[in-house]
Amino acid sequence: MPTLIELKDGVCKGVEDSFTHVADDAEIPDGDVILSLTRFQTDGDRLLSAGRRVGVRLEPHEEVEALAYDLPRLSVVAPAFPKYRDGRAYSNARVLSERFKFKGQIRAVGDVLREQAGFMARCGFNAFEPADDASANEWQAATHRFRHVYQRSSDAHAPAFVERAS
Amino acid sequence: MYQYDSIDKAMLADRSAEFRGQVARRLAGELNEDQFKPLRLMNGLYLQLHAYMLRVAIPYGSLNSTQLRKLAWIGRTYDKGYGHFTTRTNLQFHWIKLRDTPDILDALASVDMHAIQTSGNCIRNTTTDPYAGATAEEVDDPRVWAEAIRQWSTLHPEFSFLPRKFKIAITAAAKDRTAAKVHDIGLMLKRARDGALGFEVIVGGGMGRTPYVGPTIREFLPVNRLLSYLEAILRVYNRHGRRDNIYKARIKILVAALGKDEFARQVDAEWAKIGEDADLPDTELARIRGAFAATRFEVLPAQSEAFEVARAETPAFARFVRNNLKPHKKSGYGIVEISLKGIGDTPGDASSDQMDVVADLAQLYGQDDIRVTHEQNLVLPHVKLDDVPKVWAALAEAGIATPNINLVSDIIACPGLDYCALANARAISIAQHIAEKFRDPDRAENVGELKIKISGCINACGHHHVGHIGILGVDKKGEEFYQLTLGGSGAEDAAVGSALGPALPYDKVAEAVDTLVEVYLRQRQDGERFLDTFRRTGVAPFKEAVYADAH
Amino acid sequence: MKALTANRLIDGDVVFWKAGHWVERFAEAQLWADDDPAATAAEDAGKGQPKVVVDAYLIDLVESEGLWAPLSYRERIRALGPSNHLHHGKQAEGGAVIEALQHAHGAARSTGRVNLIKRK
Repeated sequence: MPTLIELKDGVCKGVEDSFTHVADDAEIPDGDVILSLTRFQTDGDRLLSAGRRVGVRLEPHEEVEALAYDLPRLSVVAPAFPKYRDGRAYSNARVLSERFKFKGQIRAVGDVLREQAGFMARCGFNAFEPADDASANEWQAATHRFRHVYQRSSDAHAPAFVERAS
Repeated sequence: MYQYDSIDKAMLADRSAEFRGQVARRLAGELNEDQFKPLRLMNGLYLQLHAYMLRVAIPYGSLNSTQLRKLAWIGRTYDKGYGHFTTRTNLQFHWIKLRDTPDILDALASVDMHAIQTSGNCIRNTTTDPYAGATAEEVDDPRVWAEAIRQWSTLHPEFSFLPRKFKIAITAAAKDRTAAKVHDIGLMLKRARDGALGFEVIVGGGMGRTPYVGPTIREFLPVNRLLSYLEAILRVYNRHGRRDNIYKARIKILVAALGKDEFARQVDAEWAKIGEDADLPDTELARIRGAFAATRFEVLPAQSEAFEVARAETPAFARFVRNNLKPHKKSGYGIVEISLKGIGDTPGDASSDQMDVVADLAQLYGQDDIRVTHEQNLVLPHVKLDDVPKVWAALAEAGIATPNINLVSDIIACPGLDYCALANARAISIAQHIAEKFRDPDRAENVGELKIKISGCINACGHHHVGHIGILGVDKKGEEFYQLTLGGSGAEDAAVGSALGPALPYDKVAEAVDTLVEVYLRQRQDGERFLDTFRRTGVAPFKEAVYADAH
Repeated sequence: MKALTANRLIDGDVVFWKAGHWVERFAEAQLWADDDPAATAAEDAGKGQPKVVVDAYLIDLVESEGLWAPLSYRERIRALGPSNHLHHGKQAEGGAVIEALQHAHGAARSTGRVNLIKRK
């Protein structure tokens, strides 16, 4: 079972991951599953009506808007970073969290490195599958590297212009 | 000038600490080069031919004397006693050791400077008019907006891994000194009839492999909606810009592929959803504006006796005034341009000693304000005419009073193959050979405004596409060859130059430029610049002369 | 002929391989015949030192008038230093070898400076 780090109220914790990533050509196992968008579109309804918890992995070219009507039923949305350099998942995460006010887990999957942990947390990601074996403590340090931020984003961090005005 | 507060300072301290940790992990072997490279690039640290190169950000090209002295000190302490000013108005040190870089970043942070986002696929240093706050041509001070963008774009969580690098320029004057139309975003500040301020927004200009003059996607964006609109543009680009081919990843390719109307429609749709929450509150804009309003000018007569006497008695000073002194919005003041294009020197290089001299002059005579131009020169924007003779004398003593601003020897050149790992050919020595041809200042002045821009490879850091004469170095079977283009412009009359003919070998380039100038002088009609003559005659007479010589 | 070059991690300096270690002067670099398997063996050894150097690679040399020089101009600049600051880089050291490089004739390029090194 891969390490999963959850970020809640500013604290990073390593947790047991109850979800299984399911490849498109694999049998769907018992329990909680994370499917591709395509697989979700074929099998999602059936699994959800069976009372399963379901998550959807979004590849960078897939936009979260495609899930707009399914979000209330989803436990996890996982915007993927096939390469850490591919920054499209940041936009998906922000739209998910700010525009759709998604309350479930927004999980970073793929080439997820602690050097980008701060950016991910600010864009609304609240769970991470690190690809660099980073510990929860290291993730905690990485998400708190900067005491201040300049711009509004999906997190609760007050930007500099708000701090200055207060 | 904008003063960093405790928040700005803490950002730099945190960044510096982060990088110190990353360097330590690299040296200890915990990070390999593939993992470390993007981290060092995010701090402007490249590995070039001879050493590491550190690119220091100079936000919107604005420095005070303390900062310039610190740059001089870093040049002396960690480099070989000089630095190189770039077309992004930044400063590069070319002989840096990896082990020294954490200390250098600390030294920079001590004077509110850094190397954040001077590389990588993020929003780079925003450039603006080097005459901002000093020229009567501007409708408002563009630095207010440049500073707002600096803060907004710094460590932006969503836009730090764009398809490709992203450059924004802002001008508030009709005469564009920022090359706004060949930027990813060019912002031209305008005033409506009712007095309201707004930006004309130009998106998708650029140079490199496929040069474009950018189209306008919005004629008038109310200034206080700037950040939300930028966010909309960047989100459309981040999601839809190409990532499969590095040469097609800039926003210009997306805008060209969609067409400007469809691109604008997508931006507008996104902008409507983002809403006003993403804009800066008026209180913050007022705070920033206050920081730039601090310049105090004395009430002075338009004429200065000391200035007029020096001009009458000293021909060299008179020549400097003709070429390097520009009109100031306040009577009795002038804008002094300091050329870093001495004949035979490396374009954009300044020694640490020269930086110290400029810092001293800024402190004594220039309201502690120094600007860097995208044409790789320095500017003292606020000098009393009374003091210009003293400033000139000190500059001359330091070897930086070359009276050639906008003339044929005021050449933009990238570092080229002498330093850069990407280059195909040298650029600096080509610039030096051309400048030598125009060593005679009377001849250079007679030729008048002529912008020569040289790049050592297709990435176009030397802006060759928008040179009146553009020169691009190429590698032909291991030999340095150079393609010449004519008729480009990065100013308000922006245009991409067109090819002159087959590429020329290294030792024929300066001669060819000399020939082009001779053709121009023969063809010139009253008061025409080189560019005007070219636009009237077309390429034929130029081509004929250059390639006739070659046969 | 071939030589092996890299940039040193800690300071970025240009280095060349010589019998199991890195040296700063091209004059001291070990040279191999084109088909000598020792060259690729050295390259593998160099690539196996990621805490010492960055990006070890073999460079081609050309013969001219009894001298060896890197085939590409880029590599010649690396071996000497930038042509706009002749007192910077390895060329600043001066001495017989550097002068021989700078004054030699018959490089691969038809123009510009000619930068050769004596064949060992």
